[in-house]
Amino acid sequence: MKPLLEIKNLETRFYTQDGEVKAVNGVSYSMKSGEILGVVGESGCGKSVHALSMMQLIPDPPGKITNGEVWLDGQDLLKLNEEQMQKVRGRDIAMIFQDPMTSLNPVFTIGFQISEALLLHNDMSKKEAKDRAGELLELVGIPGAETRLDDYPHQFSGGMRQRAMIAMGLSCEPKLLIADEPTTALDVTIQAQIIDLVKKLQDELGMAIMWITHDLGVVAELAQNINVMYAGSIIETGKIRSIYKETKHPYTIGLLGSLPRLDDSPGTELMSIPGLPPDLLALPNGCPFAARCGYKIEQCLTEKPPLVEIDGKDHAVACWRWEDIAGIKSK
Amino acid sequence: MAKISPEEIIVTDFAVREHRSLWGDAWGRLISSNTARLGMFIVILFVSSATFSHYFWKYEPKKDLDYSLKLKAPNLSPNEEVDSIHIFGTDKLGRDIFRRVVHGGWNSLRVGIVAVSISLFFGGLIGLVSGFFETVTMTMVERLVLFSITGLLLGALSAWVANQIFQLFLYAGMGIAAGYYQDFLKGKTLRSIVFGVIGFLVSGIPAFFAGITVGLVCGILGLLSGVILSRPLDGKFLSNSLMRLMDMILSFPGYLLAIAIVAFLGPGLGKGMIAIGVVGIPVYARLTRSAVLSVIHKEYILAAQSVGEAHGRIIFRHITPNILSPIIVQTTMGLANAILSAAALGFLGLGAIPPEPEWGAMLGDSYRYLASGAWWAVLFPGLAIMLSVLGFNLLGDGLRDALDPKLRT
Amino acid sequence: MNVKNKTLVEVRNLKKYFPVSSGFFLGKANDVKAVDDVSFEIYEKETLGLVGETGCGKTTVGRTMLHLYEPTAGDTIFDGVNLNEIGERELRRTRSKMQMIFQDPYASLNPRMTVGSIVGAPLEVHTKKSRKEKRDRVQELLDMVGLNPDFVNRYPHEFSGGQRQRIGIARALALNPKFVVCDEPISSLDVSIQAQVVNLLEDLQKQLGLTYLFIAHDLSMVRHISDRMAVMYLGKIVELADRDEIFLNSLHPYTQALMSAVPVPDPDLAENKDRTILIGDIPSPADPPVGCNFNTRCPVAQEICFKEEPEYLEVKEKHWVACHLVK
Repeated sequence: MKPLLEIKNLETRFYTQDGEVKAVNGVSYSMKSGEILGVVGESGCGKSVHALSMMQLIPDPPGKITNGEVWLDGQDLLKLNEEQMQKVRGRDIAMIFQDPMTSLNPVFTIGFQISEALLLHNDMSKKEAKDRAGELLELVGIPGAETRLDDYPHQFSGGMRQRAMIAMGLSCEPKLLIADEPTTALDVTIQAQIIDLVKKLQDELGMAIMWITHDLGVVAELAQNINVMYAGSIIETGKIRSIYKETKHPYTIGLLGSLPRLDDSPGTELMSIPGLPPDLLALPNGCPFAARCGYKIEQCLTEKPPLVEIDGKDHAVACWRWEDIAGIKSK
Repeated sequence: MAKISPEEIIVTDFAVREHRSLWGDAWGRLISSNTARLGMFIVILFVSSATFSHYFWKYEPKKDLDYSLKLKAPNLSPNEEVDSIHIFGTDKLGRDIFRRVVHGGWNSLRVGIVAVSISLFFGGLIGLVSGFFETVTMTMVERLVLFSITGLLLGALSAWVANQIFQLFLYAGMGIAAGYYQDFLKGKTLRSIVFGVIGFLVSGIPAFFAGITVGLVCGILGLLSGVILSRPLDGKFLSNSLMRLMDMILSFPGYLLAIAIVAFLGPGLGKGMIAIGVVGIPVYARLTRSAVLSVIHKEYILAAQSVGEAHGRIIFRHITPNILSPIIVQTTMGLANAILSAAALGFLGLGAIPPEPEWGAMLGDSYRYLASGAWWAVLFPGLAIMLSVLGFNLLGDGLRDALDPKLRT
Repeated sequence: MNVKNKTLVEVRNLKKYFPVSSGFFLGKANDVKAVDDVSFEIYEKETLGLVGETGCGKTTVGRTMLHLYEPTAGDTIFDGVNLNEIGERELRRTRSKMQMIFQDPYASLNPRMTVGSIVGAPLEVHTKKSRKEKRDRVQELLDMVGLNPDFVNRYPHEFSGGQRQRIGIARALALNPKFVVCDEPISSLDVSIQAQVVNLLEDLQKQLGLTYLFIAHDLSMVRHISDRMAVMYLGKIVELADRDEIFLNSLHPYTQALMSAVPVPDPDLAENKDRTILIGDIPSPADPPVGCNFNTRCPVAQEICFKEEPEYLEVKEKHWVACHLVK
């Protein structure tokens, strides 16, 4: 099957006063239609920037996409101009953001903002758009949807605003929905509601979802595949089970180890990853994780490991020593 | 997994970037901007020419008079008509305009600095106090100071009516008592009545000796003051009162108020400075207050409180350094404004007393001769005003960008 | 667990209301009842976890019990001293024994002060040490929290979030406090850095014999670090018990829902978990529901829950719950 989205060697740079920030460094992967992909990493790992680069929403200057291709349904998005891109955004790819407080415009009603999005990409009358907006709010589980179309964003709670954002994102039935930390600003009980909603919607509508987050727990509940990013590169990717159960990259191992779990025995010390992520202004030549890695060898400091497929497992890892590490771990 | 303790690594592996203070950073940004450099150049030129000419190139305006050179056009070399060089020409009394423009700079600079200092000092203090106590609970000592000052202010009227200065102190004492016994009959109407009666007696009895009517008037004033002082005055009250006072000053058009103050005090450069300074107070008060309010909710203020730092220390060590940026910008721009106001007052004949060289006054003296073709007598003082104002404004803009990188595009 | 049952801090019926409107002459409108009648004890050398969602008043509890906010009502008894009964000066002196670590490592350090003067500030206020002695102590503290002691002259913006949090911890420890309120100290940090900071806090507790109140919204982290746990909802504590007791036998429906909502980083468990998804949003603390606070979202609410406020009772030994359905 032909993939829905294929990213090849994407590279994004920011040119700032202090120098060149290497935000995304050669990211390549593909997504099938209907797939839920989790993109996981800590702040500054390039997970959001790579998504914004796909959409050509990087502020330029200082940002610049220096290399790569983003193929969506047979067209390279990076070759499109701004007008063509505007048609793609919202219609083919929709995006929802972290902060539902600032991503809705406070001076317009919710209904108006959703129907705006509809009118932009569809040939329909204002009346139809408004009716559809009502249906969408209903779909995302806002009680009394029809009556709440004329509400302003401040009359909605945080969770409801995020639902409204999702309704807006879904308004044109996109093939791909990019959710950039959509639940980070929400409380756990509200987060559970949103995750539940997104799962249901995906069952019903069948769009592909890219879920960008720092929370390994959320991804475990939601995604089928995972990309783990570190310092602008994908360092491990694969099916969710094999990432969590047969973790290969020392960074992913450390990340999972530093999470306390509701089911571990009390008193166990958390495994923490020492040190800090590298400064993107001065990335080392070798593996970006080498400075914090307990398994590093000479080669790690000089050569950046490529992402290599582990035979027949749909699981790839960028580490020179993954085979050794698997050996050490099983002991 | 070979466990490396996080501590070892963190000790060795961080802070790759160069060590720079925030101020150093801002300086770097300032001098990298072309407009800010231009502004800085003009300001330095203006300040140094004004200062050096005052000390090294003396000028006595009272003796400078030469009717034979009246209204001569600029010349760069001596000619048959004029045997001296006047690159900016001469004015109606035959004075060299270049010399007067340079020395006028000294006056403008003085006005600017003194007026802005007045506005900055009082405005800053008012803004700092009202912003701080708007959110932070007062300590006992601070509350007593607030009550006694309120008492003093309230007492001023009856002290004036009864012509008894000591009434001021009676009122202040009453304020202190009300502040100290704050929990006495708290929240009850009886408290207002008790303090009203005390006020009536305290102010009425001594005033009674000055006359029955006076005694009655003072008694009523005392009663009202007692009722006011019986209320739980706090930081919010202080902040509100100060800000309403600032609103009152702001409700007058600036120039009009300055002219009114000068008319009241009499003309002269010194009085002009005071007038311009007073008009500027509310601007600085509001700016400072809003800056304080934006800082005071930061957790480091709470942290300072939680280690037990006293209010004065919090204000001077934690708040002041963090609100300096907008104030520095406003001060720089305010200098331009003060120079302009001084010129306006001078133009109207309310600033410097002739023959003292002052740009606005020079314009005012010479614009009548424009019709007879003496453009130079107006052009050069005008240019001087424009350039100095432009210089301070450019520098202010540059400082704003440098000190607050978030505003940069 | 080395829980010695000597009470270090006792909070009794603490209330903190924030007036919504306080015009010049206008009366008060509805108060926001940020903390509404909260009582608990913290034993010496233990960690009490305090969890709850945004706006439940957990941060306000921490700040009010230290009298950083003036309480509307209620007492804090710290080491036998009632903070309401001592004067301003004495309160300031007592502060050296009870310290706070703040949530936002970017806002909690004065950007214009060097690390040395930030960490040294408590020493300047409370001790009369010489410059040299202060510097030595600051360097010792930095070393203790895992920072390079040579960086005393650097400014906060030169450090990463996790390092800044370490600076905040060093400041809190400068005066050898007995009790530290950790107000969401890790929630703004990255996952791998969170673990570093939590391990540091645990090490320091062992080393220095500290008592913590650990405030957080991350249930799994609170479970990891605490000995006992309190769960807050809309200004009230709804359940308080030993950590394992809460996790194994939680009684309040809110606690149960909260625990089932926490995402588990394990796909197998996530699949098999049966979750209670609460409907609706948290009501505004300015206008809490009548009866039990939780009745708008409670899956098992009964008639009585809409009429009467449940009492906060010790239903089992050392297990306190406020729910009509648990008796």
